[in-house]
Amino acid sequence: MTTTDPVCWRSVSEEGLRFFGEMSASVSHEIRNKLAVINEKAGLVQDIALAMKSGRSIDPDRLALQAGKIIEQIRKANQIVGALSRLAHSVDRSGIRIDLADLIGLVVELYGRKAAQAEITIDAAVPADSVSLITSPFLLQGLIGACINLSMPRVDDSRIMTIAAESCSDGAVIRFQHLAGISESDTDLGGNGAGARAILAMLGGRVSADGRHGELVLELTNQEEREGGSQP
Amino acid sequence: MNEKVLLVDDEEEFVETLAERMRTRGMKVSTTNSGADALQLVDDESFDVVVLDLKMPGIDGIEALKRIKRRRPDIQVVLLTGHATIEKGVEAIKEGALEFLEKPIDLSSLTEAIHKAKATKMVLVEKETEERIKEILHHKSW
Repeated sequence: MTTTDPVCWRSVSEEGLRFFGEMSASVSHEIRNKLAVINEKAGLVQDIALAMKSGRSIDPDRLALQAGKIIEQIRKANQIVGALSRLAHSVDRSGIRIDLADLIGLVVELYGRKAAQAEITIDAAVPADSVSLITSPFLLQGLIGACINLSMPRVDDSRIMTIAAESCSDGAVIRFQHLAGISESDTDLGGNGAGARAILAMLGGRVSADGRHGELVLELTNQEEREGGSQP
Repeated sequence: MNEKVLLVDDEEEFVETLAERMRTRGMKVSTTNSGADALQLVDDESFDVVVLDLKMPGIDGIEALKRIKRRRPDIQVVLLTGHATIEKGVEAIKEGALEFLEKPIDLSSLTEAIHKAKATKMVLVEKETEERIKEILHHKSW
């Protein structure tokens, strides 16, 4: 399959849209949960105000505590929106040098809720500014997402999936670690992995399984650098 | 009516604040953050209504609903969700949920659902008692 193949382009587009939809649904769900907490906190403040109106003496610290908790929920919701915004803007650019610590950190943040639902933790173990790659950030995020989806049910008894990265001669290697029973048959990136495989081909990557070390290994090569980044 | 309610949601701040507001409205409220603990509480205590979040780690809302209904068919369940879909709503009602409410919730709607749930439970308990009495009368041939 070549990158100019229209079937490949279609698969890449569909997978990109699927990934963006998955992340948007997860983030909107998380924001709604934060709004639900803020709604209850505001309701509680109203209850306290009503009690004060009816002559009950209320410790002002109780109000201050609730106000602080509302601010904390707003801060968390803002952080989630910020992550979605960074993902949305990554669509704009391709052929740019990216810091993998930054990119993997963003994907891990976006997958936080899904991981919590699966009762696992995803740990990004890439020091800042240690590994860079010239690539299309949005497509790479989608590919990492597909690898996380594939790896999540295979996380070993530690319940912690670690994502590590290292530089290699013409690109970078990303490792999804602490997986039990991972095998070569998993390298098709799952039953519905056609889109992820198309992205893999487009990014000049290769995926392999290291059963002995419990790792899914994603090898990526540097793409042609474009000044300032541009549409793929 | 002093309804006895169990609130189940993995978001601790949500569940504790909602519980506080419900208590000031005269309800007896217990809370937990997991489906597994909710099942244990349902086994150990008597509740009129269980208010369950749909999405939780481990045993999710629908699974908890099924298991509660299997153990204690008279307990009424209200499901809460941050992302309502028609499919999930239909599934919840099919599995025996009395109401399916979307977050952020309106406390008066939830209170109304809880009043309705307690009334439904009382009718079920009365029916069950009536059946039992009929059965005893039949067996004793009085």
